[in-house]
Amino acid sequence: MSKQVPETIKKQVKRSFNSKEVKKEKNEKRMKLLKEIQTKAFKRAEKYEKEYLEQGQKLVELKQKALQEGSFYREPEPKLAFIIRIRGIVGVPPKPRKILQLLRLRRIYSGVFIRLNKSSLRMLHFIDPYVTWGYPDVETVRALIYKRGHARVNHQRKIIDSNEMIYDKLQKYDIVCMEDLVHEIYTVGKNFKHANSFLWAFKLKPPVGGFSTVKKSFVNKGEHGNREQYINTLVKKMI
Amino acid sequence: MTTQQLRPIVSVFPIKGKVKTIKQVPLPSVFSAPIRPDVVRFVHTNMAKNNRQAHAVSTTAGEQTSATSWGTGRAVARIPRVKGSGTGRSGQAAFGNMCRGGRMYAPKKVWRKWHRKINTNQKRYAVCSAIAATAVTPLVMSRGHRVNKLPELPLVVSDQLQSLTKTRQAVKFLKFIGAYRDVEKVIRTKKTRVGQGKYRNRRHVLRKGPMVVYARNLGIKKAFRNIPGVETASVYTLNLLKLAPGSQMGRFIIWTESAFKLLEDIYGSWEKPSKFKSGFYLPRPVMVNTDVERIIKSDQVQTVLRNRRPRSRKYGKKIQRADPYEDMSVMLKLNPYYKTKLQKQKELEEKNKEERKEIVDKSRKEYEDWLYFSEEEEEEEEEGSDEDREIEVLSDEN
Repeated sequence: MSKQVPETIKKQVKRSFNSKEVKKEKNEKRMKLLKEIQTKAFKRAEKYEKEYLEQGQKLVELKQKALQEGSFYREPEPKLAFIIRIRGIVGVPPKPRKILQLLRLRRIYSGVFIRLNKSSLRMLHFIDPYVTWGYPDVETVRALIYKRGHARVNHQRKIIDSNEMIYDKLQKYDIVCMEDLVHEIYTVGKNFKHANSFLWAFKLKPPVGGFSTVKKSFVNKGEHGNREQYINTLVKKMI
Repeated sequence: MTTQQLRPIVSVFPIKGKVKTIKQVPLPSVFSAPIRPDVVRFVHTNMAKNNRQAHAVSTTAGEQTSATSWGTGRAVARIPRVKGSGTGRSGQAAFGNMCRGGRMYAPKKVWRKWHRKINTNQKRYAVCSAIAATAVTPLVMSRGHRVNKLPELPLVVSDQLQSLTKTRQAVKFLKFIGAYRDVEKVIRTKKTRVGQGKYRNRRHVLRKGPMVVYARNLGIKKAFRNIPGVETASVYTLNLLKLAPGSQMGRFIIWTESAFKLLEDIYGSWEKPSKFKSGFYLPRPVMVNTDVERIIKSDQVQTVLRNRRPRSRKYGKKIQRADPYEDMSVMLKLNPYYKTKLQKQKELEEKNKEERKEIVDKSRKEYEDWLYFSEEEEEEEEEGSDEDREIEVLSDEN
């Protein structure tokens, strides 16, 4: 019994761009691209490791040199801060509320990276009682992006599960892999804005071991405000 | 429509002898008018109101008492009560719609709007639709007419039908043409009316049978008059209430040849207006080709469509992945250099360990040397004063 296939269906199949050949071709292309991305990722990661190491060594060198000369080495002021919101949404006055919104800190224990300049420092001044912030080191940035990094894709929050995701969105800024992203954030590069806005605000857990008192500033044995390098230990507890 | 110059051919049948085509006529344009059940329903429901007779309740009904309320304090409801005594009626409630013998709520008035005006064009639209529906066999069948044995729909017969005078001849014709089954149905299903109409001179209910449409009455009216269910109508005055009884389109119609041909003049076409209805053109359908599926699947449309957007399965599903710091495979997918990095770190640690070990060994050796050397010194200084030694001991403790 021969099946009578309607002509419209025959035409549809012929026209279909989902046909086997087309799919195969597309898949091959994609595989090739993925391979390229991974090789790039390898090379760049290597490059960055060296760079971070050299940075650290350079700093030490300069300090020693200054000590030898009998003067001081003033480190460059930090460019990157990581802010964590540590107070809830109830009873926040309008100005801090707006600033927290602008910084994407819309819920408690959410964290964002921010570039430090005069304007952002002034913003931080207003929201000090509601956040704690500091200067993250490379390992903190890495841990955050790897473990808790979610991308904003199609207005959705999707976990970053492959470099392809990063490539699709940030290729035009020469960011193709996780290490690129980490580097861009940590060194506050030219495309920091795009790298940062690619990332959804980090949703962290309440800290293991708890806070002492959020009502006081860190300087006064509390928790809020600038805690400089101690943000790293806090993030470890919250990640 | 404007492109449809080709009109199908309809056969004309004789009224006796053999059922075969004696002539062929083109199908009038009316039969291609859009079939709009919504228009027909609207027009029908309003048209059907136009043969109503006014009725109302008497204006004085329930008001012919001088009842007054007894007011409060008498342990009775405050409804007006009939005055007087000596009869059962006295003290009874009156006037209210809830009272026995009271007037009804909102007594019906004769000046109720009984008739409805319908736009002339709408009426004509409905009639055109209804006529078009009579040529559609599924519609006629779904209306309930028995049309299986007919030679053709629309059924057109020769003009000799118009000259029939005897009912016997009419019945013979209906049987000949295969339309009598419909009449039989009518006879079979004649019933007493349900409801009070039965004793209001509307005792029996009949189905609708075939309708015979003629151009000239040369006896046909009287011939078909007494056959149950059959109606006759002049083609010049086709009534929607008869073409679509109960606003259900698809009446079974038997056309005479001249009546059929006249339809073209009476209803016109899309190019030529009607000769009898001034300024009337046939209604235009909203869609010329209503087979939407075929339109979509046609080459003309398909070749111009953009490609279907692929379902991006990459980001489609909510992917939960493991923690890269716990699952190496996940880590390597994100950072293929990670393993190498760990190896290098390990190597560096090993190297540092070795270096440190060297340094530690060296310094330990130095310390031991110094100890050994100091012990020798102590032995040499045995002859020294006790006090000095004591001081040394103290300093060692410190």
